[in-house]
Amino acid sequence: MVERIEDLNLPNAVIARLIKEALPEGSNVSKEARAAIAKAASVFAIFITSSSTALAHKQNHRTITAKDILQTLNELDFESFVPSLTQDLEVYRKMVKDKKESKANNKKDVSAGDAAASSSSAAVAADNEDAT
Amino acid sequence: MASEDLFRNEYSEEPDLGQDIRKDEEMNIETAEHDTNDVEQATGQNSTNSSPNVDLPAATSPAQTKPNAVTNGNKPSEHEHDAKLTQLPMARIRNIMKLDPDLQIASNEAVFAVTKAVELFIESLAREAYTYTAQAKKKTIQKRDVDLAISAVDSLMFLDGALNF
Repeated sequence: MVERIEDLNLPNAVIARLIKEALPEGSNVSKEARAAIAKAASVFAIFITSSSTALAHKQNHRTITAKDILQTLNELDFESFVPSLTQDLEVYRKMVKDKKESKANNKKDVSAGDAAASSSSAAVAADNEDAT
Repeated sequence: MASEDLFRNEYSEEPDLGQDIRKDEEMNIETAEHDTNDVEQATGQNSTNSSPNVDLPAATSPAQTKPNAVTNGNKPSEHEHDAKLTQLPMARIRNIMKLDPDLQIASNEAVFAVTKAVELFIESLAREAYTYTAQAKKKTIQKRDVDLAISAVDSLMFLDGALNF
């Protein structure tokens, strides 16, 4: 589980990059504003999770799925995220599928292989975690 | 006076003759950094654009990103991370999700969806806050702008009071 409280903070560099990508050229973010956005992002993650959990429980599901997340986003007025997320999910599913197949066929592509190896082992670890 | 008029006349014929002059000028500037081929293409495509070097980085950056089986059909915003679909670490998001005591199991797809949603959330909150920054004729987002954005948008009500640290 979570060992240190910092494990719950999102990486600053990534937050800064995401913000920068969203803004016009030449704009900046103050440290305080970035911290506020980062914190808001963590709260958002918890908010979405607990709403999705409630939704899944209502349907007597123990596992929350991507579908629950999308439905929750719709209900909470974040429907603008859904089209892009649906697209990303398709890419993700395809990637997971490809990874499984390429794992069976051994690693061919060196660059993709490295990433696939590390993240698929993480995925396997996560699956084990889920199962217990 | 007379010479000034002449000068103007010369440039008023820009569509025909002036273009060649400008092209040459641009080439001179650009050859320092880029291939002449690139410049010729850029000037040919939009000869009215006085600074083709604005277009060039955009034209060259997709070529720099290596085509990767994993990123096929990916969004351009993720071209820096070829092998990754998310910019934020999914493991971290999973840890945050586990703070919910009612959560029993979250599928990997659900974690992925939350991770992506958080990324979109950060971008939209930044954009929302920036409208207040721009209103104040500033370039740097301050905490105040974020607070204003949160209190102005209904769907961000859940953040009310969560950021007073």
